[in-house]
Amino acid sequence: MYGWIWRHLPGNAWVRALISIVLVLAVVYALFQYVFPWAEPLLPFNDVTVDGQ
Amino acid sequence: MGGVRLLVRTFSELCLTVGTLIVLFVVYVLYWTGVQAQSAGAGQIDALQREWASTPVAAPAPTPAPAEGSTAGSRAPATAPEARQPYTPGKGIAVMYVPRLGKDWKWPVLEGTGPGVLKKGLGHYAATARLGATGNFAVAGHRRTYGDPFKDFPRLRPGDAVVLTDGTTWFTYRVDRSPYRTLPTDVGVVAPVPKPLRKNAAGYDGPGRYLTLTTCEPEWGSSHRLIVWAHLDTTQPVADGRPQALGS
Repeated sequence: MYGWIWRHLPGNAWVRALISIVLVLAVVYALFQYVFPWAEPLLPFNDVTVDGQ
Repeated sequence: MGGVRLLVRTFSELCLTVGTLIVLFVVYVLYWTGVQAQSAGAGQIDALQREWASTPVAAPAPTPAPAEGSTAGSRAPATAPEARQPYTPGKGIAVMYVPRLGKDWKWPVLEGTGPGVLKKGLGHYAATARLGATGNFAVAGHRRTYGDPFKDFPRLRPGDAVVLTDGTTWFTYRVDRSPYRTLPTDVGVVAPVPKPLRKNAAGYDGPGRYLTLTTCEPEWGSSHRLIVWAHLDTTQPVADGRPQALGS
C-alpha cells in the first residue's frame, strides 16, 4: 500500500520524501479537524447532564 | 509466493495504520480537546470581561445577602435578576471560581448544555433559574476531556465555596452535601427545589437560591452522574472587590 504510493510519487527520493511528509501532515490535519470531532461525541465523555436520555 | 508476500505486507500496513489512528485519536481526546477548551474558555472569559467593561456599571441588584441555611431564599425575592432579558443560548453568562478545585480554577458558564457549548466551558441548564435568583441555577461540566473542568469534583465538601460573577455582583454559594451519585434519569436534581430520587439526598424542604453542579460518573464513563448542591450564602457588588472566599 505505502510502497505503491511511494512508487507513484514523482521526482527523486528527496522530492518523494517531502511530498510524503506533506501528505502525512494533511491527513493528520483532516483527522483532527474533521474526523475526530465527529467521532468524539460517540464516546461517553459528553454525558454530563441529567436529562433522562 | 509473491502474492502471499503482498498480502502479508498489506495486512501489516493496515494494522500499523489502524494503530497509528488509535494513538492519534487518544492524543486528540486526552490532549487536544483540553488545549482547545482551555483557549476557548479563556476566550469566553475575555469576551465577558470586555463586555462588562464596556457596559456602564449598572447598579447591582439590591439583593440582601440571604441568611445561612437552606431556606435562605424564601424571603422577598430579588427584583433585578428575574426582570432582565433571558440568557442567549451559547453565550457566556458568568465566570465560575471554585477554590477547592484549584487556586486558579476558573471557567466561563455559557447558556445551554449542548455538546458545542460544553466544549467551551460549563453549561447552564436553560430551563433553570438565573444566577442568584430564587430557584436552582444548574450547571453541567465535563469531568474528563475538554479541559477536565470537573476532574476533582469528588473532592468537593460541605462548606466549599462556589463563586460566580455576572459582571455586577459576586455570588458566593456554599456546598451543602458531599457529591451525590445518581442516575442520568434523575432530573429532579435540577428542580427549583432539588428533589433527587433518593429522598433527603439534597435536604432542601423549601424554596431558596440554590446551585446545582452535574458531571459524569464514573470518571471515564456515563452510567451515572455526580451531583453537588449549594445555596447562596453571600452576594456583594463587584465594586467592593473580590469576595472573601477567593482569598484576596
